[in-house]
Amino acid sequence: MYFPRAWKVIAGFVTAGITGLAFYFLPLFQSAATATVNTGPVSVPVPNPLPTTTQPFTVLLLGSDDDAKFPQDRVNTQSMILVRVDPGTKQATMLSIPRDLWVSIPGQGMGKISTAYQTGGADGAIAAVESNFKVHIDDFVWIGLEGLVKLVDHLGGVDMLVTNPVLDDFYPADINTNDPYGYYRVAVLPGAVHFDGVHALQYVRSRHGDLRGDFGRSERQQQLLMAIKARAAHINAADLPELANAMQGELKTTIGISRMRQLFSMAGDFNGPNVHRVILLPPYTSEGFAGGQDVIFPNWGQILPLVHQSFS
Amino acid sequence: MSSVEARPVGWNATRVGIAAALVAAMCAFGFGVYHAAALLRAATKTQVQRPTETRAAVLPGTMYVEQSGAIYRFKQGSFVRITPEDGWTQPAISPDGNWIVAVKRSLDRSDLYLLRPNGRVVAQLTHNQSRDIGRNHWAFYPRFGPDSSTLYFSYDPKDPYNSYRVDLAIFATKADPPSSPAVQWTVPNEYTGGDVDPVPLRDGGLIYTKFSIDDNSNVHSQVWLQARRGSPGVGLTKAADDCSQPAVSKDETLLAMVCRHGGLQSADLEVASLDVAGRAIGAPAPYVKEKLVGSPSFSPDGTLIAFMAPGDRGGPFQLWTVAPNSAQTPPSQVTKNLDLDPTSTPNWTT
Repeated sequence: MYFPRAWKVIAGFVTAGITGLAFYFLPLFQSAATATVNTGPVSVPVPNPLPTTTQPFTVLLLGSDDDAKFPQDRVNTQSMILVRVDPGTKQATMLSIPRDLWVSIPGQGMGKISTAYQTGGADGAIAAVESNFKVHIDDFVWIGLEGLVKLVDHLGGVDMLVTNPVLDDFYPADINTNDPYGYYRVAVLPGAVHFDGVHALQYVRSRHGDLRGDFGRSERQQQLLMAIKARAAHINAADLPELANAMQGELKTTIGISRMRQLFSMAGDFNGPNVHRVILLPPYTSEGFAGGQDVIFPNWGQILPLVHQSFS
Repeated sequence: MSSVEARPVGWNATRVGIAAALVAAMCAFGFGVYHAAALLRAATKTQVQRPTETRAAVLPGTMYVEQSGAIYRFKQGSFVRITPEDGWTQPAISPDGNWIVAVKRSLDRSDLYLLRPNGRVVAQLTHNQSRDIGRNHWAFYPRFGPDSSTLYFSYDPKDPYNSYRVDLAIFATKADPPSSPAVQWTVPNEYTGGDVDPVPLRDGGLIYTKFSIDDNSNVHSQVWLQARRGSPGVGLTKAADDCSQPAVSKDETLLAMVCRHGGLQSADLEVASLDVAGRAIGAPAPYVKEKLVGSPSFSPDGTLIAFMAPGDRGGPFQLWTVAPNSAQTPPSQVTKNLDLDPTSTPNWTT
């Protein structure tokens, strides 16, 4: 077959251009390629692709204290947030799962739901949530302490509204330290603030001085997600490679590039009233004692109808 | 067959040159595409400048603001740094204009210092560092009383029965060194973070922000008026309105505040008439709505309210103003590309 010389030249330029683009997006492809193999002892199955971009999907967000106190990939999940996104109606629901929720963990027996990730990786956490909450999870995102700091910093910080002073004399000094068991004092002052990564982490991680304990922290974590969403609305696909590069090893996810692009492009569409926040306070839960430790008992009779309404 | 004989007919140095040039051009094109893609990145990170590197709209009087741990004096549209970038924040000028009291914050404590208006440190008023970090204290939100001598501030007294409880209470002391022992003015609700934003009144009373947590675990803030030390005081605003950060006009007839009405993403700047003697306010009027507003402050002549809010596209906080007598006038952005601390109220004097 004979191609005119001009076509060969054009093809050469097109190839060069594609190569340039490929190199630019290389960190993103590398991140996507390694996303599902770093998830623990058991590889996570690749989730089912979405038939259409307007179909609702559910993502399990996992946050762990992954400092030097814990062996790598043997960490608990201090934060578990189930997020349902409906691109069609531009509605989203965030449900914070208490870390001390006393549940049946598949293959493990009764335990705090936060330990499911420690023993089973992301697979275990997903299985525990799916079996107890009767939901299907399409994707997960796991992030560690430094990952959250890097994410916020890479977005140029986040604007938040601190509802009340958050003062904690026992905030863990476990990042960039030789003594991960140390503490320091934290004071986050109320009002509108522009947080960098370290201070955003302090705000969502502190719990000792809050009357609501872990529930107060859950509310602040949802607040940070909203702030990250607001900042993400300002970035585009060209920002993703640099973001992926910065997050190498700090974030694990099964979310593919196409859904990630979709999420970023939708971020601006989800306004405050369209995002529903759920925290499982009493009567959905009650405090108690089991397995020699303080736990939170679920009231499934109250929780499951709520979950069915929001996540089905 | 030799290699020379294998060349196509007409293969010569010119063609080799053209081919090489084309290959080079293709490589350059690919390189250009790579960099062009990078240019498409959104400008998420604001190019923050130091205040001294910028000019801004001229405002009446003199204002003290903070960025990156340094206090700046803002006058006639330009900024002058009066302290180094060393944890300085929340400056408050005395009514007679002779003194500034400011917070110097470290990793695990903060102290109040007395400064001259040029930034020269005169005295350290509190000593909140201890050998045991757990016995360190915080001191924030200093404000001079009308006598330019009494100093009100938030401070965390330790709970001897529970080291997890850290709530700020408002204390008062004399600013003249050596300072007298501070006396506790307010009793905060436990595990709420405490009482902040003291605004001393001419009659000896105090307006401040008090926090509470209701039976549904919702945090509320109220602008609170307390006539005397230790008295229970009254809420000037409803808990459900979540108002905080009060500012009072010089003639004490107007109250500006930030109200979030249960929201977690935006807050309104609202202004109400103030009746100190009657311990009441009029119906608040929203002046800036659905913006992340913080730290309002009246100008000395009462013609403007300064406040902090992000720039047009979010990001770090800038200085804005709005006229207090015209809810219809849109707010005006005074600074751009700064990263002012919105928890440090712009302190405005003549």
